[in-house]
Amino acid sequence: MYKARHAWGFLAIPLILLSLFTFIPAVAAFVLSFTNYNVFTPIEFLGLENYIKAFQDKSFQKAIVNTFYYWILVTPALVVLPIFVAILVNQKLRGIKVFRLIYYFPVLVSVVITAILWKWMFAKEGIVNYILSFFGVEPFGWLLDTATVMPALAFVTIWQGFGYYMLFYLAALQGVPKDLYEAAELDGANFWKKHLHITIPMIKPMIFFVAVISTMGAFKEFTLMLTMTDGGPLNASTTVVLLVFQEAFQNLDMGYASAISFILFAVILIITLINQRLLDKRD
Amino acid sequence: MKKSKLLYVALLGLMVLLLAACSGDDNANENANSGKNNDGNSNDNGELSGEVEFMTISLLPTFEEYLNNLKEEFESQHPNVTVTINDVPYDQVEQIILTSASSGDLPDVMNLNTEFVKKIGALGALVDMEKEAADVKDTFFEGLWNTAKVNDGVYALPWYTTTSGLIYNPEILEAAGFSEPPTTFEEAWEMSKVIKEKTGAYGEIVQGDMHLLFPKNGIQILNEDSTAAAFNTPEAVELWTNLKEYYDEGLYELDVMLNQVSMAELYATEKVAWWATGPQLFRQVNDLSPEVYEKSVGGAQLEGKAGLQHANPMNIAVSAKSDSLDAAIAFAKFVTNAENQLAFGKEANVLPPVVEAANDEFFDQGLDSDDPAERGRYFAAQALEDAVNMSPPHENVSQIIKAIQEAFQEVLLNDMDVQDALDMAEEQVNSVLD
Repeated sequence: MYKARHAWGFLAIPLILLSLFTFIPAVAAFVLSFTNYNVFTPIEFLGLENYIKAFQDKSFQKAIVNTFYYWILVTPALVVLPIFVAILVNQKLRGIKVFRLIYYFPVLVSVVITAILWKWMFAKEGIVNYILSFFGVEPFGWLLDTATVMPALAFVTIWQGFGYYMLFYLAALQGVPKDLYEAAELDGANFWKKHLHITIPMIKPMIFFVAVISTMGAFKEFTLMLTMTDGGPLNASTTVVLLVFQEAFQNLDMGYASAISFILFAVILIITLINQRLLDKRD
Repeated sequence: MKKSKLLYVALLGLMVLLLAACSGDDNANENANSGKNNDGNSNDNGELSGEVEFMTISLLPTFEEYLNNLKEEFESQHPNVTVTINDVPYDQVEQIILTSASSGDLPDVMNLNTEFVKKIGALGALVDMEKEAADVKDTFFEGLWNTAKVNDGVYALPWYTTTSGLIYNPEILEAAGFSEPPTTFEEAWEMSKVIKEKTGAYGEIVQGDMHLLFPKNGIQILNEDSTAAAFNTPEAVELWTNLKEYYDEGLYELDVMLNQVSMAELYATEKVAWWATGPQLFRQVNDLSPEVYEKSVGGAQLEGKAGLQHANPMNIAVSAKSDSLDAAIAFAKFVTNAENQLAFGKEANVLPPVVEAANDEFFDQGLDSDDPAERGRYFAAQALEDAVNMSPPHENVSQIIKAIQEAFQEVLLNDMDVQDALDMAEEQVNSVLD
């Protein structure tokens, strides 16, 4: 009883803060999703109208497709690529900490600064086209074409995010017992076999964890699109969260924006549950 | 089981509470529509009283002295009124207004951009100046007075404005065989072909406000009572067909229109021969490349077939729920009177929408100036008389503009037939006018 009182004492402040800034606004948004709330006029209850509208709205359908496309581009890369980098920077080499810092460095740059820099680099006369010109590639507007805009944005996300996930893998790698590798070496296993049969199975929980959080990150991405393309051209880079922002703050349709948010919440929840089930099965 | 029931009851209770909280104060809203506060804020002698919060956009610290003088002078004229100035960053204005409104605490007097005024004015958040400031209506240029017009109301007073001038690079023009800049869009595109061929630089460029090319060329975006799209005409087909041809000929790129590259950068790096914009922005060229600015010349904005110029004023609006409504309206009129507009125009290099201030000799100067911004200001000031705000007079102005721009992008990027694109845009615009 004494311990429980202490635990509640410690939990009280974070719980109050979470309630004030997360749970209550979330419940409020859920309530608003059934209304025509626009801040200025009296609120009216609309029932399921906003949800029905969402499923008929071509902009929303496009935003859902774009969001899944972005997720498919980003998450596999952010799950796999950092494993290799983490294995490399986990080696006992002189100056390895410098490499760790270098790979982690993009994480420290603000997303808005990253977006502005890459917008400049992806411009027709930017540095990306300048480098490609040495290989005979004609200058191309990467952010001006509906086919290339999303891959370009995904590239920026991967560039900025892989150092973050590398750190998770690095922590997991340091928990893998060294004697497993030594035994494998005695059995004649090469570099690839060691990692395929020891490293990957040992860090599997971390791989699933990274898959879940990078999925949530991909579904929530917004700043990059707002800063680099504002969802264009022709809405080819409008994600669901950007659409929520546009509906809420540009079109002042808070009720509809809330409904879209809850559909996105349901999608993320389903994907997370699937991930969880897969993880449980593997365990 | 008991616990879960309790949880459901708690959740339902919270929902009811939230709905009740969100339903707002209907009485307050009635005040909003009538434009009058029941409490009033004038005493029996008609003297104004109360506190007025004045929200400005990114004017401090540059114009601190001007704003403080404004405040002190108004307070000295109305000793029972206290004015507080609250300056907010440009990119946060709309969020701040929405947050303040949701907590029922809008600033009494607000400096707002035109599109946002139209959006929230139509929702009853702002005082209708057509009713409350009718006595000063005639002091403004007619076209500019109607800037914040939505439905039957005018929801703000224009404070300061710009019409476009033209900054051009005589060296590029000379290299292409021209001694003077273009005066009309038609001439500009013809010259652009030669300039592109002879120098590789661009001439005319379709910018982010391409929807304004409709009214500039005599094509109305909406019908008279703003109930239907009016731009789907043979003239619009001709205009977009020509623009598509110019795009296919490589006379301009989409990057400026899609906000990937700024015109200031293009001009400062001599990749474009001229730039039509507000003369106060010419200084950006000086910041980026003083050499290019040095050799540049200021001129008059290009004319479309309608002969009208677009003006995009910054406005002064008054919250319909202000506790100091009379004082707030009086302060809004004070800020936008001829004397104060002239003083601000001189200090900030912007133009006054009030006739008396615009007629001051200050705005007749600059024709002989070597400074492009000063010369540009001269031409921009001369255009004030014919200036109107051309953005659609409807609360869904953003969706209307987006529909037109996306249809145009379909023509350029996906080779959509021009007539099909205009049909599509018309359908979309009509759907947001319902």
